[in-house]
Amino acid sequence: MTWPYKDLIAIADLSADEIGTILDMAASFKEISRRDIKKVPTLRGKTVVLLFYEPSTRTRLSFELAAKRLSADTTALSASGSSFTKGETIMDAAYNVMAMAPDCIIIRYPYAGIPKKMAQLLPCSVINAGDGYHEHPTQALLDMYTMKERFGRLEGLKVAIVGDIMHSRVARSNVYGLKKMGAQVVLVAPKTLLPPGVETWGVEVSTELDPVIPGSDVIMMLRVQKERLHQQFFSGEREYSFFYGLNKARVDKMKDDAVIMHPGPMNRGVEINYDAADSARSIILDQVENGVAIRMTLLYLSLGGSVNVD
Amino acid sequence: MTDIPRSAKEIDGMLHELAETVIHSIDNWNDIVFIGIRSGGVLVAKNVVALLEERTGKKIPLGALDIALYRDDLSKIRFYPEVRRTDIPFSVDDKTVILVDDVLHTGRSVRAAIDHIVDLGRPMRIYLMVLFDRGGREFPIQADFIGKTIELGDDKIIKLETSKDAQLIIEVISSEVSR
Repeated sequence: MTWPYKDLIAIADLSADEIGTILDMAASFKEISRRDIKKVPTLRGKTVVLLFYEPSTRTRLSFELAAKRLSADTTALSASGSSFTKGETIMDAAYNVMAMAPDCIIIRYPYAGIPKKMAQLLPCSVINAGDGYHEHPTQALLDMYTMKERFGRLEGLKVAIVGDIMHSRVARSNVYGLKKMGAQVVLVAPKTLLPPGVETWGVEVSTELDPVIPGSDVIMMLRVQKERLHQQFFSGEREYSFFYGLNKARVDKMKDDAVIMHPGPMNRGVEINYDAADSARSIILDQVENGVAIRMTLLYLSLGGSVNVD
Repeated sequence: MTDIPRSAKEIDGMLHELAETVIHSIDNWNDIVFIGIRSGGVLVAKNVVALLEERTGKKIPLGALDIALYRDDLSKIRFYPEVRRTDIPFSVDDKTVILVDDVLHTGRSVRAAIDHIVDLGRPMRIYLMVLFDRGGREFPIQADFIGKTIELGDDKIIKLETSKDAQLIIEVISSEVSR
């Protein structure tokens, strides 16, 4: 089997076999980050450009470290420090970047569809680092890897994704991926934060968190996007926390081996309490560590890699 | 090509001879570690280490090296090789490493393996052991322990496998098939 794609835009584009291949391969890349010398010469001479039109800490750092550990040269542009703010269109910016011959562009953009358009028009690899409310494929892959690492399987796992489903590209990518891998997904949110048409996603939906907790293997908390509070999707942080926050009482009702995940950044005291975030069940920092391995895998595959199945 | 050993008895004989040569060359077994290059080298290393452990009564550390990420032809070939895990459960610092591969040909794999090993630490010295030396070197690399020197057409490659009863199997296949 050879890797057929130059780009990664959406989990929806990948088959279960392809997701499985990425997850298997990531274990090999994870080992590199645990060495004293965390660098292999694989992508020497390749140039990776990160275009981030939205704030990011983890994802950007993770991609940058992944590229550097494979010996690629990286350069990052963020919206605030560039002429993006001077009225240049995103495609003009993309063509200008392309004129400097990068091998890969990693793009985060506030609106859906831009990474796909860039992938179609540019000869280099394009990796979506999050586009609007569409997808955040590397996040879902690192989430699935982390679950598989913990449970040894994805098939049959019951995964609750809790919070602002409507505005979450993380939730969408995870739903696509987890369904393909045979996991059962339950989305938990107040009605105002469920997207229209959620009933067609083929997953369970609950507006209450408490009944979902005892049966779940994974509880994935999504960030409350405080910047949306004024839009009145819910009446306040305290009320949200009361109904949907993961606190000690709820953690105590989880299955013995169930785990807590969060894509970050966390709002402690809102969707997740200290008791939950810092409990032994939390594998939130495993997610971060695995993110580098997943992104190394994707850079390797997208920049020409292939796999042979023995 | 006819001189490539195929029968279990011939292969066993070759492995025993390799083990014997190592025993005569090594004085201090305390700092010896074996590292096989995936996948054929690991199979050879396992077999030789088993024989040496039997003879010396010592436990000999054995690791597996994946050199895919260290290849020098990644920009030249269309398909990148599969990446498997490097699994070296010990420090290589100050150790005498016996690096094992199944076939020594151009020397490029060995170059990649040495680069990989020095990224993991600083061994005292590295020996190279191969089951077959087929000539055709492109790098100035030679083996210290050789099972058998053979001649093989450029279009052929040797593939090692393990049978159900853990016996090493040697196959000669066309290099087209291996792709």
